[in-house]
Amino acid sequence: MIAAELPNRRVEAWRYSDLRQAIGAEPHVLREGRDIIERLAPGTQRMSIPAGESRVFVERMDDDRYLDARSFDFTLGEGASLTRIVIQSGGATPLAMARVRLSAGAKLKQFVLAEGAKLSRIETDVSIEGEGADVELNGVYLCDAGRHADLTSVIEHKVGGGQTRQLIKGVAKRGGRGVFQGKIVVAHGAQKTDARQYHHGMLLEDGAEIFAKPELLIHADDVQCAHGNTAGGLDESALFYLRSRGVPEVQARGLLVEAFLAEAIPHGLPQEISDELLGRIRTWLGATA
Amino acid sequence: MSAALDIHDLHVSVGDAEIIKGLTLSVPAGEVHAIMGPNGAGKSTLAYAVAGRDTYEITKGTVALDGADLLTLSPEQRAAKGLFLSFQYPVEIPGLSALTFLKAALNARRNARGEKDMPAPELLKLVRAKAEALKIDPEMLKRPLNVGFSGGEKKRFEALQMAVLQPRFAILDETDSGLDIDALRIVADNVNALRGPDRAMLVITHYQRLLDYIKPDRVHVLARGRIVASGGPELALELERDGYDKYLRAA
Repeated sequence: MIAAELPNRRVEAWRYSDLRQAIGAEPHVLREGRDIIERLAPGTQRMSIPAGESRVFVERMDDDRYLDARSFDFTLGEGASLTRIVIQSGGATPLAMARVRLSAGAKLKQFVLAEGAKLSRIETDVSIEGEGADVELNGVYLCDAGRHADLTSVIEHKVGGGQTRQLIKGVAKRGGRGVFQGKIVVAHGAQKTDARQYHHGMLLEDGAEIFAKPELLIHADDVQCAHGNTAGGLDESALFYLRSRGVPEVQARGLLVEAFLAEAIPHGLPQEISDELLGRIRTWLGATA
Repeated sequence: MSAALDIHDLHVSVGDAEIIKGLTLSVPAGEVHAIMGPNGAGKSTLAYAVAGRDTYEITKGTVALDGADLLTLSPEQRAAKGLFLSFQYPVEIPGLSALTFLKAALNARRNARGEKDMPAPELLKLVRAKAEALKIDPEMLKRPLNVGFSGGEKKRFEALQMAVLQPRFAILDETDSGLDIDALRIVADNVNALRGPDRAMLVITHYQRLLDYIKPDRVHVLARGRIVASGGPELALELERDGYDKYLRAA
């Protein structure tokens, strides 16, 4: 393998996450595949969820030393439902590529908690191939100094009547970098599609970086689509409101940031998973306050 | 009589503009005073400056609560001393439930006094009882604070916070704005229930209407950054009848 096969920042899809710089000095085995993460992964895990059935997958990416590249391929039958949770905490190079295909009436609920790494990229490619499918693709990134988290997704509505809800929230501290790249494509003829995409980043300190590239490509005329993208600091009036009620500043900041992030955790997750996600966010906020 | 809140020759600037220009005011313990004034007189600036919002710069003067200087204290330390500001525009906080907010505020107050957190069941019982008195649906306590609340609901939640926190000194900034007459009566009843020899209040309002329900011991007129007249409750009626013109000219 040669480093030149790894994308650097001159490749549009990797402009905020320079993979060549991150791992180009080490030897890697590249397989055949469509995508560099798929080529770096030792294999692709394929899962088919039969019509009407439900599955919950929890992936923990916690490798602190080595390249952790994973490739997944999910196929959802009619009315099938997949809940996928990714918890990325390992500090080396966690890379994941998941392709999800949905049949009619299928439901995908995904939540990624990315705590960043030397370079972390969690990529999801969703293809809606049946009428009335439902996608909720949320995520939170937490970028401390020296941590880089990249949440990238493409959601393609190939047929009509589908619904997408995407809410990504993240925070970065000095020397931390958060990236969101989200593309929603509504194909010609995918009428009655209802897609909403929101990304809200919060810069907790000077010297934090957040990059966002939201894209909405609509080729059908009878659709409802909306998107919003913001990056800013903590709401000072909310902070004063809490402090005026006696809540000390550090605690008030923690409560507000937690409230900001927790909004992105989807409803209806198994309780122990919700508790774990909120617990991790609290721990991160407590450790870095 | 000892004054609960004592403001002397206060000057407050926002940016380059001086808004409060030498304001002196004393509210004794056990009394309710009203501040009335035209728009832009500096009523809300006074409230924020006393509560400690850092965008309001105190250039001169003193503010003391029970004889202790407030101006060197952070907003949370002022709250711990018993100061409470009911906001004219309560802030919406997505993702933070009203109950979590009340819990944080009440326990912060207790911790500042060296007490432990209130046990959760006791806290829930307390909040529910106070909410019921204000005709607040308990379900609303689970909703994100003030998000999607009507103007009246927001003010009821301010009143709820005051009832739960039991402050020594409360400033009510335009509590009547956004309230219909029924909500006004409920909020006023709640405020009146909190009156007592150990508590004092400053009610800031543009209209006399609120003072029909919360009867003040003294009324002060704030115009162009100063108290330009003080009197009994009859002063509010005079203002309602004659307007603020006289004071704007005199100031």
